Amino acid sequence: MSDQITITIDGRQINVMPGLKLLWAALDNGIYIPHLCAIREEIRPNASCRLCFVEIEGSKHPVTSCTKTVEENMVVKTRSPRIDRLVKTAFELIISDHNLKCNECPANKNCVLQTIAKERGLRLKQKRFKSIVREFELDDSPEVFAFDRSRCVLCGQCIWADRVEAKVGAIGFTNRGIKRMVTTFKDLPLADSICTQCTLCVDACPVGALYYKKDRKEAGS
Amino acid sequence: MQLVEGEKEVIIACVNEVLKEKEKTTENLIPILQNVQARLGYLPSLAMEMIAADLAVPAADVFGLATFYNQFRLSPPGKHQVKVCLGTACYMVGGKIALESFERRMEIREGETSVDRLYSLERVACVGCCTMAPVVVVDEVVEGKVTPTRVDGIMLALQENGDTKKSEMKTDLPDEGEGKNK
Amino acid sequence: MSNLTPLVSYEKLRSEAVLATNADAEKTRVLVGTATCGVAAGALQVKEDFIREIGAKGLDAEVIEVGCMGHCYAEPLAVIAKPGFPPICYGHLDNGLVHRLVEDFLAGDDPCYEYAMAALEPNDVFPTFAEFPRGVYEQKLILEQCGFIDARNIDSYLARDGYSALAQALEGEPQQVLAEIKQANLRGRGGAGFPAGLKWEACIKSGGEQIYVICNADEGDPGAFMDRSILESDPHLVLEGMILCAYAVGSGKGFLYIRAEYPRAVTHVQEAIDQARAKGLLGTKILGSDFSFDLEIFQGSGAFVCGEATALVNSMEGKMGMPESRPPRLAQKGYRGRPTVLNNVKTFAYVPLIIKNGADWFKAIGTPDSPGTAVFSLVGKVVNTGLVEVPMGTTLRQLIFDVGDGLPNGREFKAVQIGGPSGGCLPETALDVPIDFDSLQEAGAIMGSGGLVVMAQDDCMVAVARYFLEFTQHESCGKCTFCRLGTKQMLDILTDITQGKGDDQTLALLEELSEDVRDGSLCNLGRTAPNPVLTTLKYFRDEYEAHIKEGRCPALVCHDLILYYILPRKCSKLCNVCVGSCPTEAIFTREDGLKEINQEKCVKCDNCLKACPPEYTAVVKLSPPILPPEKERKN
Ligand SMILES: Cc1cc2nc3c(=O)[nH]c(=O)nc-3n(C[C@H](O)[C@H](O)[C@H](O)COP(=O)(O)O)c2cc1C
Ligand code: FES
Repeated sequence: MSDQITITIDGRQINVMPGLKLLWAALDNGIYIPHLCAIREEIRPNASCRLCFVEIEGSKHPVTSCTKTVEENMVVKTRSPRIDRLVKTAFELIISDHNLKCNECPANKNCVLQTIAKERGLRLKQKRFKSIVREFELDDSPEVFAFDRSRCVLCGQCIWADRVEAKVGAIGFTNRGIKRMVTTFKDLPLADSICTQCTLCVDACPVGALYYKKDRKEAGS
Repeated sequence: MQLVEGEKEVIIACVNEVLKEKEKTTENLIPILQNVQARLGYLPSLAMEMIAADLAVPAADVFGLATFYNQFRLSPPGKHQVKVCLGTACYMVGGKIALESFERRMEIREGETSVDRLYSLERVACVGCCTMAPVVVVDEVVEGKVTPTRVDGIMLALQENGDTKKSEMKTDLPDEGEGKNK
Repeated sequence: MSNLTPLVSYEKLRSEAVLATNADAEKTRVLVGTATCGVAAGALQVKEDFIREIGAKGLDAEVIEVGCMGHCYAEPLAVIAKPGFPPICYGHLDNGLVHRLVEDFLAGDDPCYEYAMAALEPNDVFPTFAEFPRGVYEQKLILEQCGFIDARNIDSYLARDGYSALAQALEGEPQQVLAEIKQANLRGRGGAGFPAGLKWEACIKSGGEQIYVICNADEGDPGAFMDRSILESDPHLVLEGMILCAYAVGSGKGFLYIRAEYPRAVTHVQEAIDQARAKGLLGTKILGSDFSFDLEIFQGSGAFVCGEATALVNSMEGKMGMPESRPPRLAQKGYRGRPTVLNNVKTFAYVPLIIKNGADWFKAIGTPDSPGTAVFSLVGKVVNTGLVEVPMGTTLRQLIFDVGDGLPNGREFKAVQIGGPSGGCLPETALDVPIDFDSLQEAGAIMGSGGLVVMAQDDCMVAVARYFLEFTQHESCGKCTFCRLGTKQMLDILTDITQGKGDDQTLALLEELSEDVRDGSLCNLGRTAPNPVLTTLKYFRDEYEAHIKEGRCPALVCHDLILYYILPRKCSKLCNVCVGSCPTEAIFTREDGLKEINQEKCVKCDNCLKACPPEYTAVVKLSPPILPPEKERKN
């Protein structure tokens, strides 16, 4: 198409629609950039996970690709020592607050953290930082799914599903800083909240925090 | 939580009054919460639900705000509120020692309210009188140069007038016990 | 009024104000400083004492509340202005001194010079503040009237030519205001030092019908209070600056975002807004011109991060105070999606002065790249704590040792922390750095909010770094990975170090992580949070190493690395003071009559050390926390 613009990512020239964010331009063309929080439809991206850093020629500092709109003749590198270092630290910080018992996790082999680790040669084991995973009570009150907050990476995908897709408003972020979490009004169990159990949030979860209970999975398959 | 008889009516009346004064926009959400807390001393969950319904925002969002900002509390404060300043100047000359002394004397930790609801203890960042450091604010009165000995003095004074006040109190407010634990 | 020009309307207001305030010029006036700092020191009681004593004597004198004069070390303070005498300032007031002043000075004619601090106007009998050694360095622009005018009475401001800059500007075009501010190169005083004129211009360029003007009075730095002082003591100066800005950018509506922890500031500003509106200085058709603008207060709810521009806007829109990634900047898309000017309290306070005196006047003060003055709240181990205002380019040494009069009790200087939680700690060798935006940044600190904390040899730099990190970690909004988890991991590492834990990898890891948090965070809270750590690592690495390698805190501060010990050879058997001072009954009398500390019970509260009489000074702190050998302890 003539109204497309050309950008170069990792030496590859690609044509993309103007206005698109760089992250999606790369992903759509089969170039992987790690990401957890990005939502294509969101007008002002959260940019909270800090995994999608890239280098753009002419920019002094690494840039989050989820917030950067593509520009004609932009030259992008998804890997560099600087980028790799930032992404590694961000990843290790995220897993320092993530329950790493992968073999007990229903998302095992289907988890974005595992994908990132594989793509970037990172280990799903904590070496540099102390594990600071908090203790949470498992919320298995809904009929077909459960919420294990010790696996939650606070990407906000479930809240988007709840607000924008399901239009319910049962869950949201609460607290500040290290205590930030996804929860219901008054921290009620999901089944006692206004949650309709539509399960759109479960489908949105990139890790195993919101997951289908086993029996349902078996019944479904 | 269980509300004591009559308490529910007080909350409803108060919230309705505040809601009447303010235009119904999300921009007024924080001022409304501030207003309700100024009158009730805390934000009961009933109040949060009413406000959410009135402004047509998810109750989860109101809860989010109430747990995000330092100013809001979800359970009633103690009869006496002690705020220990841990601004830079106070910290450097022993604010932490004063805080620890209060924790010892009140047998609670910072951010908590004693079981008998007599005291709540908080830390604040700079009340703006660094020259009197370390500073504590006892029921809105600023006390400067607070040593552990002075803490004992303050506690003694509070106990004396606290006990009289306690016997005057008809009902102790129950603990809300849910939600945030700042 | 509409057929009068702004200047004529203004002149009318001003002469009325002069009349109103001069009506009692012949009367003796007592000005008591009742800003938060004064009140904390007992100023309200002093005011009551004055009123009572004056009443008892049946004297004709008026007691007025004023704001902060900046000499917080001498609170409570009052100025007595008696016809026939220069106005004189007295400090450290108490009941007895008030009695004395009323009896000898107000009733008699003896100004009690032995208790006076300084006169406020040059005269032949008593020196003024300007004649103090610090006066040589100080130059008060925006603090000039703080503490000397009645903040709660607009006439007091008007009578001193207040709002004349506005009247003058309304006679001309908005562009002239903008041009003057740009020409003056006024840089933002809220931290980053971005030129205000360029920011305003960017807003105008974004265009549209509605532009908002917001004053950032969130002042979250836990060691700074000058914004509060200015709002409490001279609110109209800030309002006038905001109105001028609104005129320049064509805004109809503005807000002051004030911390809820500053109730006095909120009250004074609200009164000021009401009074200004009543006089036609705010609202529709200001001073009879075609320009309309109104102001409202928004109270912050106590979150440091809300000082950040995008978080502040979110909070005003009823959301959590979470920063957003930029661009768009506020000048393009701010409050309610409209172009928004956000400036600090001090930035706005300079505006009327620049419009009144011209850009060249402003540029003649300070340095070429950082014109004007810098305002600091000077706290910590320094004699003259309080607010100071010095021209940019003054060195840190002059500020601390000449204006601040050095460290108290012969303490030795160790470091100065500038810019609060986002700033850095500079050592002795950096004391000759001139204070301006760029030099400080080069040295590793930032001008920041203007908190300036002086530290002595008995302050532990690891503990200080930990303190600031604990603050930022606690105040992190929790949105982005680096700030939420990175600062937490940094804090944990620092806590370990203050407990003597760690190995040769620890400092390297701390440094690496600090750099990543600085480079990877979403907003400036996270990006600047590592500064206290990085600067202390750079300048005071040996202290970190002493903690890790020797289990020793050189400043004798870190609780886990010290113990309290009573030197047997110094302890007097006859004295019992320490025993009484101990809150946990850890000190006991041994069989030989000497005192000893039960280390199990000791909570290291420092009481005994303070209580031990100066003739003995038997209580000491030891680090590493190892008791001397038994033999030595026996005697
Ligand atoms: C975490 C954080 C806290 C801040 N706090 C304040 C503050 O309390 N007051 C302030 O004026 N600026 C504060 N700022 C800076 C503002 O974002 C903004 O740059 C400033 O208000 C702009 O005004 P100025 O150009 O007049 O300095 C803060 C920034 C950050 C990142
Ligand atoms: S995807 Fe860009 S920050 Fe999360």
